[in-house]
Amino acid sequence: MTKQEFFVNLKEELEIDVALVGVINLKNLDEWDSMTAMVLIGYVSNEFGVTLTAEDLEVITTIDSLIEKIGVDKFD
Amino acid sequence: MGAIIKAIEYVYPKNPITNEDLGYMYPDYDFSKFANKVGIEIRYWVKENETALDLAVEACEKIFLKIRREEIDYILYCTQSPEYFLPTTACILQNKLDLRKDVGALDFNLGCSGFTTGVSLAKGLISSGQVRNVLLVTAETYSKYIHPQDRSNKGIFGDAAAATLISYSEDECIGEFLFGTDGSGYDKLIVKNGCSRFGFDSNAEEVAYGTNNLYTDNHLYMNGPEIFNFTNKIIPDFTKDILAKNNLNLLDPSQYVFHQANAFMLNFLRNKIKIEQDKFFIDLRDGGNTVSCTIPIALKKYLSSKDSIDENIIIVGFGVGLSWSGGLIKIKDKL
Repeated sequence: MTKQEFFVNLKEELEIDVALVGVINLKNLDEWDSMTAMVLIGYVSNEFGVTLTAEDLEVITTIDSLIEKIGVDKFD
Repeated sequence: MGAIIKAIEYVYPKNPITNEDLGYMYPDYDFSKFANKVGIEIRYWVKENETALDLAVEACEKIFLKIRREEIDYILYCTQSPEYFLPTTACILQNKLDLRKDVGALDFNLGCSGFTTGVSLAKGLISSGQVRNVLLVTAETYSKYIHPQDRSNKGIFGDAAAATLISYSEDECIGEFLFGTDGSGYDKLIVKNGCSRFGFDSNAEEVAYGTNNLYTDNHLYMNGPEIFNFTNKIIPDFTKDILAKNNLNLLDPSQYVFHQANAFMLNFLRNKIKIEQDKFFIDLRDGGNTVSCTIPIALKKYLSSKDSIDENIIIVGFGVGLSWSGGLIKIKDKL
């Protein structure tokens, strides 16, 4: 998956209204809440086989930082 | 010789809280999407002077419209909202229900795995020839534990009680059960203060967590991501183990009734296990996550929608502890 595809998929999975780019802080989005965080954990687990912990979620800010947590090597 | 679930009745408190009501209480959060993602539209909270035992008595009295109270031999009472530190709430229940005095009665402290564990315990009591009729009661009022500004948990959890009659039967209608426990996750879902280790602290600090939710150590704390990850990691394989233990394939059961935690999590588990949609019960719309009461309530709702009943149902409970259990039940009549 390319990062561009990831942005599109993430927007759809998390039901975000605005277009997503790497510098956007997930937690500043209107849609960000506990449920959205759970949807994110589920999506990342299914798509990348990576488990995001509660601590990971505390640390993650931008989508770029999420990509780093997942592992840059997992993207084309 | 075996055991069978003969009847289930449940009650909610009288006080429904809609998503619209929550929207007024927490104007900075859009609860309209709550119905879609979490699957909950209404939850019920007890009044301040109302307890889980009050709900339990109501649920049991509904059972006694079907069978004579004199026939009950044993009360298994599952709650994390007991009346007192001591005595055992089940003893008070025996008196309030005017049951015989030669009955056994005990509380057991489990949450979302409580019903499935209770069914297995009841089967053990009956199959060993000790008793014929077990009244398994689950009763929970988490609303009393949740901080007023913890809007996520206020939205998810509802109060309820369910009474299940499990009786002796010629045919075995309660199959094999399996269990799981991982106490290393004890603090992932916890009310820390007010018991033996840490007393109630009137100066407990308010802590922000999740997304603008507050709690103190006197209140219920749930680490949502960690509970989700535990469920995701354990429950799919555990479900397959239950099937194998009962010599069943994935397609064999007529229905899967899991603890109704939230709709997203349930759909996630269903997809992962690859259970067909129409064989997997999800209905939290009216009532929400009622902890140990969700499975009996779901069973009652599911069976009331059926015309003819000959069901092999896999039930699985999972949550606080961390604790999980599940097994096969066979149902031949509406409960």
